[in-house]
Amino acid sequence: MTPMLELKNINASYDFLQVLWGVSLNVDKGELVALIGPNGAGKSTTLRTIIGLISPKSGEVLFNGKIINNMPVYQISRMGISYVSEKLNLFTAMSVQENLILGAFAIRDKEKQLATLAYIFELFPRLEERKNQLAGTMSGGERKMLAIARGMMSMPQLMLVDEPSLGLQPNLTRNVFDALLQLRDRGVTILLVEQNVNATLNFTDRAYILEQGKTVMSGPSKEIKANKHVRNAYMGI
Amino acid sequence: MSSSKTAQEKTNAWSKFVSFLSKLGFSPIGLVLLIIIAILPISSPYFQQEYIVRWLIMGAFMAAQSVAFDFTAGYINIVNFGFAALLGFGAYTSGILSNNTPFISVAPGLSPWISIWLGAIMAGFVGFILAVLTLRLRGIFAAVMAWFLGIALMGLINNLTSLTRGPLGMNPVKFLETTNNLPYFYIVFAMMIGIYIILKLVTRSHFGLAFKAIGQNLDAARASGINPTRYLVFNFTLSAFFAGLLGGFYAHFYGSLTPSTLMHTSKTVEILAIAYIGGRGSLWGGIAIAFPFVFFIEYLRSNFTDLPGLHLVIYGLLMIVVMIFYPNGFSGFVAWAKTKLDALFPKKAAS
Amino acid sequence: MAKDSITRPATQESLMTRIKDNLPIIIVSVFSIILFAAVYIKGGTSQIFNVFITGGMWALLAVGLALVFGVMNIPHFAHGESFMVGAYVAYFTFNPIREYLQQNPSKFIGIIAPFGAILVAGLAGAVLGVIIERGIFAPLRHRTKEGWVMNAFLLTVGISFVLTNGANLVLGPNFRGVPRYWDVDAVEIAGAYMSVDRLIAFGVSMLTIGVLWFFLRRTRIGRAIRAVSQDETGAQLVGINLNFIQTLTFSLATAMAAISGASLLFLFQAYPTVGATPLYYAWYVVMMAGLGNVAGAIIGGFIVALLQTSTQLFVAVSWTTVIPTAVMILVLLLAPSGIFGSDVKGVQEQ
Repeated sequence: MTPMLELKNINASYDFLQVLWGVSLNVDKGELVALIGPNGAGKSTTLRTIIGLISPKSGEVLFNGKIINNMPVYQISRMGISYVSEKLNLFTAMSVQENLILGAFAIRDKEKQLATLAYIFELFPRLEERKNQLAGTMSGGERKMLAIARGMMSMPQLMLVDEPSLGLQPNLTRNVFDALLQLRDRGVTILLVEQNVNATLNFTDRAYILEQGKTVMSGPSKEIKANKHVRNAYMGI
Repeated sequence: MSSSKTAQEKTNAWSKFVSFLSKLGFSPIGLVLLIIIAILPISSPYFQQEYIVRWLIMGAFMAAQSVAFDFTAGYINIVNFGFAALLGFGAYTSGILSNNTPFISVAPGLSPWISIWLGAIMAGFVGFILAVLTLRLRGIFAAVMAWFLGIALMGLINNLTSLTRGPLGMNPVKFLETTNNLPYFYIVFAMMIGIYIILKLVTRSHFGLAFKAIGQNLDAARASGINPTRYLVFNFTLSAFFAGLLGGFYAHFYGSLTPSTLMHTSKTVEILAIAYIGGRGSLWGGIAIAFPFVFFIEYLRSNFTDLPGLHLVIYGLLMIVVMIFYPNGFSGFVAWAKTKLDALFPKKAAS
Repeated sequence: MAKDSITRPATQESLMTRIKDNLPIIIVSVFSIILFAAVYIKGGTSQIFNVFITGGMWALLAVGLALVFGVMNIPHFAHGESFMVGAYVAYFTFNPIREYLQQNPSKFIGIIAPFGAILVAGLAGAVLGVIIERGIFAPLRHRTKEGWVMNAFLLTVGISFVLTNGANLVLGPNFRGVPRYWDVDAVEIAGAYMSVDRLIAFGVSMLTIGVLWFFLRRTRIGRAIRAVSQDETGAQLVGINLNFIQTLTFSLATAMAAISGASLLFLFQAYPTVGATPLYYAWYVVMMAGLGNVAGAIIGGFIVALLQTSTQLFVAVSWTTVIPTAVMILVLLLAPSGIFGSDVKGVQEQ
């Protein structure tokens, strides 16, 4: 069966600085895969390349077997990929509800939009409480929730989540990871970039380790977790 | 043996001459072209032809303006959108100070040769004020501030009718009694060369480095210890001084001033177009473009009398094309061509 | 920023900081109220109506300018030329009808025709906007990354230059106008005589602004436009086609300016440089209100009109190019990001 997402030998640069050197990875349908590695390894760049914010110099990105690199971002988004960025990219002067409705922009059917909104409010009751609050006035954890919820509103097949635990207190991090697990249980495929290696390897299926723009290791999370190099470099053991 | 020695001396003398020229901001080609322009009106068959002289005066006038404009736009990276207003301010100041007629309320009757310098100083002062106003503003905000100041200045001149006769216009005395335009050409040509050399030397000094640093990245410049205030103020004041001086020339050459024809934003845009097509930051690019620009105006005006303003449309389109596709302008093109030529014909290393 | 949303009890201190934060709005509001009262005292209702009608004019223009700033990040110097195009199109549409009506008077056509001319002008403006956006800005967007704001600004300066001189070339410098749109007497309202043309022009601008407001707030595409102005990347990520939104926004702004020029044909007439004055008034409004702030532009339009009318009343008409401009210089100096705040990305003051 073709993987839902395939990266084949991606070389990507920011202006003249090459960041990704021949990165290859797969994500199968229904998996929850982690992409971990040190700061500056190119993890965010990988996600940005998938969603189309960066055009790779060479290599291919395939979604359900279709080549999507060099497609404009909005088209890739409409194909069923949501990207929750580090910066969140929320519409800060709009309310929570408006942000969510915009998340479903590509869904023209008003009924469907409202049904999805109701469903999202079920998953994230705190967002429903604050549905008329301006996104820019919410706390860090709430904004992360909103960003993930907005990404869900388009009912994507694949979600790319970039460092959701960054800057969050541990109990909020717990909430975020629980939300991701719930999404996976509802059939959403997730590629997760994280620095919090320990926690991430606990609940993901598989993991890739990215160092200096290259994939140096991959495999089931349990195995990665037991690996000596990983324990040394990333978990301080 | 002796012939190769003189060849050696010749190349030494030549390279000394070239390096002296380049210190002043001239290339050998540039010098030759300028000499041609200088002697054009007195060499037959162009001897004292009216249209040639008029063309050359306008060309030198606009060239000099574009040099002063580029000094700000191409170095500290601020588009002085009120440039024409500064020029007009200098023109009116000089016109008022040299007035000896009863048509306006004061008649100091100074000689125009003196009043133009006072006009330049006044314009420089306004430039100083403009610098202070734009100190905390960058990019578009600074340009808009200059624009608004220009509008206010033009309106002010329009309204102080006892001094300026407002929209009716003012007629300052001319420099010379003669109706011959030729001496005026040499006046403005000398101004153009003088302004160019002075500004070129300033940009070659540490001032120029500071200007460019501020223009590229204000915070980085500050972090390197450059105090932007001094340099911003100096740049605007000097540029405005020369604008005012050129305004003074215009007043006593043309002999007729109206606020809207002299100080309107559209006049600044003409100079901006010339400076940009010529190549920002080069100072000389505008000179190279101004003369063909004026020639083009005159040619189109005489041959296509029923197509007014065609030259402006063409220059506007040219400016748009240059800005999208060739942002380095004419001077950038010349620099690029030079590197290509150097690659094709590498100079032999001096033995 | 991970801020905790703990509500602070309202203390004396927080009131002071709130006053300090909103100082520009407070000063401008107080000033406006004083001016408003002064204009009413000296000029009566007719001058107050003048303020509103002129305000509606500037508001319509400024809203388009604010949209272009906010959504496309372009300081639009050629906005006045959209006004000019509208005026010309309205003239060439209406004038033949007017001449026809002189031979064959018809009440119905007489009422409908000016609206038709304004509508046609709006459509022409929309088309012009699409052409300029697709032809000039879209290619520039591909080629520039840094310095976009200044480059785009200078490009609009070039466009303005070409359009003004092009109009001069093709249509000549003569003023084309109509003495009035509707052949009716002035109407008396609350003791002041107002020309029907001016009243309807005001109505047109308020209606257009109202329609735009509804569009931006309540429709899917309008919401998308607002999204692009707040976070371009976020908009892309939710599936919004940036190119389409940019073209649509610019087209809307140009159409609104054209409608403005058309509805005011009887006042300004049509000639190549007619756009110069509306341009800088629109800029005054937007600089004062805050770049990209559409709601602020509406209010700002009336404030600038108040300033203009006050100058006319208390000083002289000829000083309207000096005094309001001097006030704007002051505003730029003290509150560069506008009194209502701007949310335009990539444009920094310092």
